[in-house]
Amino acid sequence: MKAIKAKPFFRGVRLRGRKELSENMSAERPDLAGCEIAIPMKQHVGAPAQPIVSAGERVLRGQPIAVGTGTVCAAVHASVTGTVTAVEERADGRGGRCMFVVIAPDGTDDEAFYPSLEQRDPASILQRIRDCGIVGMGGAGFPSHIKLSPPVPVDTLIVNGAECEPYLTCDDVLMRENRDAIVRGAGYMATALGAQRILIGIERNKPRAAALFEESGLPVILLKKQYPMGSEKHLIYCCTGRKVAPGKLPADVGAVVQNVATALAVCEAVERGKPLIERVVTLSGDGITTPKNLLCPIGAPLSALANACGGIKETAVKMVAGGPMTGTALTGTNAVVTKTTSGFLFMTADETNTQPPTNCINCGRCADVCPMHLMPMQTEFYVNAKEYDKAETYGGVLACIECGACSYICPARRPLAQAIKTAKEQLRRKA
Amino acid sequence: MNPIVSPAPHIRSRRTTKHIMLDVLIALLPAAVAGIVFFGWEAAVIIAVSMLSAALTEFVWYTIQHKFWRDKGVFAAFFRQFDFTSLVTGLLLALCLPADAAAWYMPLLGSMFAVAVVKMLFGGTGKNIVNPAIAGRVFLFISFMTLMTSYPEARFAPVMSYADDALTAGATQLGNFLQGNATLSALDLFLGTGVAGCIGETCKLALLVGYLYLCARGVIKWYLPLLYIGTTGLFAVALEGFDFAAFLPSVLSGGLILGAVFMATDYVTTPKSRLGNLVYFIALGLLTAGLRKAAGIEVVSFCILLMNFTVFLIDLLIKARPFGYRRQRRAKQRKEAEQ
Repeated sequence: MKAIKAKPFFRGVRLRGRKELSENMSAERPDLAGCEIAIPMKQHVGAPAQPIVSAGERVLRGQPIAVGTGTVCAAVHASVTGTVTAVEERADGRGGRCMFVVIAPDGTDDEAFYPSLEQRDPASILQRIRDCGIVGMGGAGFPSHIKLSPPVPVDTLIVNGAECEPYLTCDDVLMRENRDAIVRGAGYMATALGAQRILIGIERNKPRAAALFEESGLPVILLKKQYPMGSEKHLIYCCTGRKVAPGKLPADVGAVVQNVATALAVCEAVERGKPLIERVVTLSGDGITTPKNLLCPIGAPLSALANACGGIKETAVKMVAGGPMTGTALTGTNAVVTKTTSGFLFMTADETNTQPPTNCINCGRCADVCPMHLMPMQTEFYVNAKEYDKAETYGGVLACIECGACSYICPARRPLAQAIKTAKEQLRRKA
Repeated sequence: MNPIVSPAPHIRSRRTTKHIMLDVLIALLPAAVAGIVFFGWEAAVIIAVSMLSAALTEFVWYTIQHKFWRDKGVFAAFFRQFDFTSLVTGLLLALCLPADAAAWYMPLLGSMFAVAVVKMLFGGTGKNIVNPAIAGRVFLFISFMTLMTSYPEARFAPVMSYADDALTAGATQLGNFLQGNATLSALDLFLGTGVAGCIGETCKLALLVGYLYLCARGVIKWYLPLLYIGTTGLFAVALEGFDFAAFLPSVLSGGLILGAVFMATDYVTTPKSRLGNLVYFIALGLLTAGLRKAAGIEVVSFCILLMNFTVFLIDLLIKARPFGYRRQRRAKQRKEAEQ
């Protein structure tokens, strides 16, 4: 089926893709012999999972090691076969602390997957997705079984293959190498949702992936290369023309967005009973010797992955988990792969461009690029004055999707996105 | 490695305030060159005095403010943070002064006033309430009324002959037009040949080149100056009783194009939102045409100064509407209708 060219959304920013660094590297398994796998208990939105194993126990690959508590939560499974050496709180390398289940792999590959799902009706598929601990793998990490059972009927499932963040190529590689599984996974999700229509949105800078999906029979929407195209609201607008109002859910306009990696995980969970225990991670940036796409078990340490890519260069000054626009700066190489880690970036001083802020010159570029049509300069002005209510009135805070386009474009280098996050936090605390 | 930890985003566009101001300087270059060609060395003196005194004023203010007697590093720090804004102010001010080298003290005083009082006193770049160059010009206009209203005519006139009686120093073409005795053709007005006026405002071709450069570099939005110029021209036409012959002279004469392209579009003194900008520029156009008709003199700088004071009001009244806002409002109305 011929791809449909989608119209762009208004505003947004054009970024230098830098995907050429790693887009031709197929996903390979790194050599992780001898390093311990530390699986964090909080890899998703919501409450942390509760560990159900203790130190000294032998766990099999795919065996549940933590269960979800509360409504918004996801189970966690062992990503390697081995012995649990510790269940303890550790620094997560992202500036916080979290419970980890640490496993020393024993080199065997015994598996404890679920049986293949025979009865593929909506309820069983949802239950399987829940059992397998699948969360949105694009970065937000919202538990998929909740997203796939919306309170209102949904007619469209959009598979998000936009990957609008620079550097990241994990979804591109995934789409090229697992096309059929992604198509089937999208089918299972549509069944669970009761959606009649499946669309896949792919940005124009991934022509090979788009060509492959054109042959698969799934309607492909070719998206303009525009940041943040991968944002749920903008993807829905570009694919269907529907606008999600501020404070509403995508389901309210009859659409649900799921990442391609999530679609693949759902396919594997349904057909092979494999929980979410590994994902493709892009290691890129000018600060690493050979940028690569690696198929890593969840919990693999960054230091081992960096070694698999030839090591970190001397010139690297910053490490980022996720994309360069929304990712988290890392405090050290003790960070591990989680379900939502799409990449690790090693950036040189030239790439990150950390200049001190100067006075706002009121040029309006932040408002020009804001995909949510907000006024970041107003927000920042009122946040500096600690007037958070006015920041919401004149700048618009709660609708912000935290894409970082305003901070990116600001010629005065002002921390606009940071100010909006502060205002959000303060308003939430007040409410 | 001791990694840098900072909030997202981790990449930044390479364009800084300094680059934008450099772009504005480059865009003003054709107008400055045309001024020197038309008015000779006197124009060059005015421009040089104005730019130098503007930069020097900022330097002196900055070093005193940062107590250079305590820390010698202040001088180096000044050059690190210098973002060319005072040079832009100085050049703009020079371009809207008459080319009279005998009055070299005018650009000196004007630049000092513009940079020290209008800009630095309020906190430097981005903190001024009105455009420094405009305020400097108005300051000089009030202080040196006669000097500021007598203009030497452009001596570079390949099209016009010097013997032409219409060429009289002391009255600008706009003044003549407003008093009902327009004499120059639209082409002469456009090229600036034989037009009496300020250094930068005579050659519209040079200003147009600057405008195209600014648009191509994305410094200004292309429609804003056009909106201002168009509104002024059309309202002037309406005031003349829909005499469309008034359009070209009122658009091409005086400092309208210089003001519209370089002064009214100054970031700091324009509203923040797109809608606010539309309102601002249309109001500016109406005010300019109306005041020109009423006062019979050139009022572009006064109009911009006046409108600068309305910017904060426009910003408070015109609020941002988030993406998807309309749908929410309709839904609300529907809900209210149901109840």
